[in-house]
Amino acid sequence: MSPWIRQHQFALGAALSTLRKAPGSFLFNVLVVAVALALPFAGITLLDNVRPMSEQLSVDPEVSLFVRPGATREEAQSLEPQLRQILQGSNAKIVFVPREKALDDLKDRSGLSAALDTLGENPLPDSYVMKLEGFNSTVEAARIDGIVEQMGALPQVDTVQVDSAWVKRLAALLGILRLALLLLAITLGVVVIAVVFNTIRLQVLTQREEIAVSKLLGATDNFIHRPFYYTGALLGLCAGAVALGAVALALNPLNNAIAEFARLYASEFQLAPLGPFEVAGLLAISAGLGLIGALLSVQRHLARMR
Amino acid sequence: MIEFHSVSKRYSADATALREVSLNINKGELVYLAGPSGAGKSTLMKMIAAIERPSSGRVVVFGQDIGKLGKPGIPFLRRKLGLIFQHQRLLNDRNILANVMLPLLVTGAPKAGAEQRARAALDKVGLLDRAKAQALELSGGEQQRVAIARAIVNRPQIILADEPTANLDRVAADKVLDALRAFNSVGVTCLISTHDEQVLDGAARVIRLEHGQLVGGAA
Repeated sequence: MSPWIRQHQFALGAALSTLRKAPGSFLFNVLVVAVALALPFAGITLLDNVRPMSEQLSVDPEVSLFVRPGATREEAQSLEPQLRQILQGSNAKIVFVPREKALDDLKDRSGLSAALDTLGENPLPDSYVMKLEGFNSTVEAARIDGIVEQMGALPQVDTVQVDSAWVKRLAALLGILRLALLLLAITLGVVVIAVVFNTIRLQVLTQREEIAVSKLLGATDNFIHRPFYYTGALLGLCAGAVALGAVALALNPLNNAIAEFARLYASEFQLAPLGPFEVAGLLAISAGLGLIGALLSVQRHLARMR
Repeated sequence: MIEFHSVSKRYSADATALREVSLNINKGELVYLAGPSGAGKSTLMKMIAAIERPSSGRVVVFGQDIGKLGKPGIPFLRRKLGLIFQHQRLLNDRNILANVMLPLLVTGAPKAGAEQRARAALDKVGLLDRAKAQALELSGGEQQRVAIARAIVNRPQIILADEPTANLDRVAADKVLDALRAFNSVGVTCLISTHDEQVLDGAARVIRLEHGQLVGGAA
């Protein structure tokens, strides 16, 4: 075994031995850090579940264009080439809906056939329904506004409606949530670093004599620092695991409540736990935060000891 | 092996620990450093181990100028020294075997090999049967012998013993000094500081310090 591996093995052993000497204190610190991590982890789990749903919703926004009342059929149909020109470059499906068909559809769907018959004449205008594909990002969604504006400026056009407005609102809301989560994660990350910083500070103070003696016996700074780095990383890792476990456990009762709510909308939506890659990533981040806290603490407090 | 060239150490304008000290200690010598408390004995020893740096002058150990020795080089210098302190500075959270293994473990030595050598070192100071005892369970003399075992376990070329008999009764002090003389007899350079004149009986070379100045034994 190379001396480098042996020294790391020794440092890990020293870190574990220190933790074994004060398990209560270590567990308490793990809990404090876990509480700080649980909130962003829960948020990440929620966003991870909602993201695919929102992506699905934002696919294929639909634009409805209503021809000005009183326009002739020829005038209405003459709009199609202009619409195609506006939608040039987009993958769009344009369907002309004559006012007669629109009325028939309304009668079929609404069950108001008798009432509509009493009107005597068809109140609906000719219209176009356009299904647009590939507009599922915020930037592309903004392009729709330009398209709608151009269509609205055409002669014979009365109204243009985009049914993706609520999807845009949802996307914007998710964007805000993501940003809020990022800020929360940064804040709580600082809390984690502070907790580990203080834990390591206390350990440095407790082991002051051992550190001083080791230095006199020829220990390098790396040899002295390493066990503290391992302690910080272990603290972060254990806290991350506890936080992820708590979030996973919380999903069960939460899903029961969500299931009832989703049934009202004929949905089967359920919150799923994070996948193995996400879990590994979050554990690595947790250990990394612990390591950063330990690094800062060791640099500060051992420098003072010198 | 150890050279001091006009070395002075000032902690502040009013506190000067060493004044223009020049001396040489050759390989394999057993040298006593005598003087009352506050004479500068500990400061002189600390300079050899690069714990303190001279304010002026040069300290040369193993041909290296301590004043110019970079921070990364200090641990490697100390690995060639065996340090023994007045208050043994044993770690009370582990047994004496673990204490003696420490100088080897800090160098990255394998644990099994370190344990074997630590047991051999404890055997040399007559404490192998107490290997599993905690430091606090031992008498002052035994603790000092553990400190000697810790100092010799990495086979140092120089042993620096700062008042190793200061807190011991005569019998325990003699055992400690006998152990140090035994290591000197196999070629290890030993520098032993003391304020106890009885310790100096029969000493081949005594360096005397008073108020930070050399008053004898420099050559």
